Amino acid sequence: MEPGVNNDMGVAVAALDYDAELMLRVKDGDGASFGLLLERHRSSVIHFIYRLVQEEAVAEELAQEVFLRVYRSRESYEPTAKFTTWLFRIATHLALNWLRDGKHQRGQESLDHGFPELPARQVADRRRSVEQEMVYQDKLREIRHAVASLPEKQRVAVLMHKYEEMDYAQIAKVLGCSESAVKSLLFRAYETLRARLAHMVRA
Amino acid sequence: MNCPMESRNPETLVSYAAGELDLETAQALEQHLASCSHCRAVAAEQAALWKALDKWQAPSVSLDFDRRLYRRMEEEARRSFWQRMAHPFRPMLLRQFVPLTVSAGLLLMVGLILEHPHKVATASHRAEAVRAEQVERTLDDLELLQQFSAAQTASADHADAM
Repeated sequence: MEPGVNNDMGVAVAALDYDAELMLRVKDGDGASFGLLLERHRSSVIHFIYRLVQEEAVAEELAQEVFLRVYRSRESYEPTAKFTTWLFRIATHLALNWLRDGKHQRGQESLDHGFPELPARQVADRRRSVEQEMVYQDKLREIRHAVASLPEKQRVAVLMHKYEEMDYAQIAKVLGCSESAVKSLLFRAYETLRARLAHMVRA
Repeated sequence: MNCPMESRNPETLVSYAAGELDLETAQALEQHLASCSHCRAVAAEQAALWKALDKWQAPSVSLDFDRRLYRRMEEEARRSFWQRMAHPFRPMLLRQFVPLTVSAGLLLMVGLILEHPHKVATASHRAEAVRAEQVERTLDDLELLQQFSAAQTASADHADAM
């Protein structure tokens, strides 16, 4: 690619997407820009995958693979879409493949037997009494179970909408469907969650 | 505003609970909620669900996440360096390495075969030597037996004579 074209594209993308500009710098051999991308998206990618697979170690392993793939693709990278759309498409693909491969069976068992892999800060909160803690953990388990029981696409849409604060358009691009399909997908998903967690959400 | 549940636009209630509606739309919806108990119930439940989902916090990221990632990247870069180095020779390797390997294998086999008869000859020579030794020993044993039985017969005759 001619340097002029690259720079023009970089400027055009920077106005829309700072991440894409960083990625173009990575493409030009700037390792520090990759560090910045990692800093900006590390947590959101890991947390998103974690809520999908519900296993901490697996989430980090898969997130490493996501960033490795981003780095591997640097030479062929073209900013045709928002960087985070591309990033979350890779993350979704890897996490769903992991779930489909049946590697989650052990995790599913843990889902049914009390979530032994609860993050440390959620294991115990000293501000709560033992009884309050038990109630809290029960609620948490129910929430995780309810989300895990949603159909794949609904689950991904809910996690991106609720926890990653993505808008309908971006979720649609990640899932490869229309914006109206995402709206209806999300409404159905939340409807199911409201029914499953009725005792928590009904006054 | 038309009733979101009746006008097939229920996702407006989801957007409202998520705080995604612009001020004007939100105010119009709130006016509707004041008069529609169904929408009011859905909006309240969705808001409660939204709050309940907040309880689910993700764990903090491992401190060595970046270090592990950069190590993997370095390993990949090292691997790809050698792959790049070997790339120009790849067609040559494919064309010549396979026949060369086969030829080397054949030569090795011929060498072993040529080496083998000598070993076989030595082994059979040793076997023959052992066999001759065994025959000799057997003959000696037979001779001893004959001498022993002759001695026995002689002593028996002597006893009869007495």
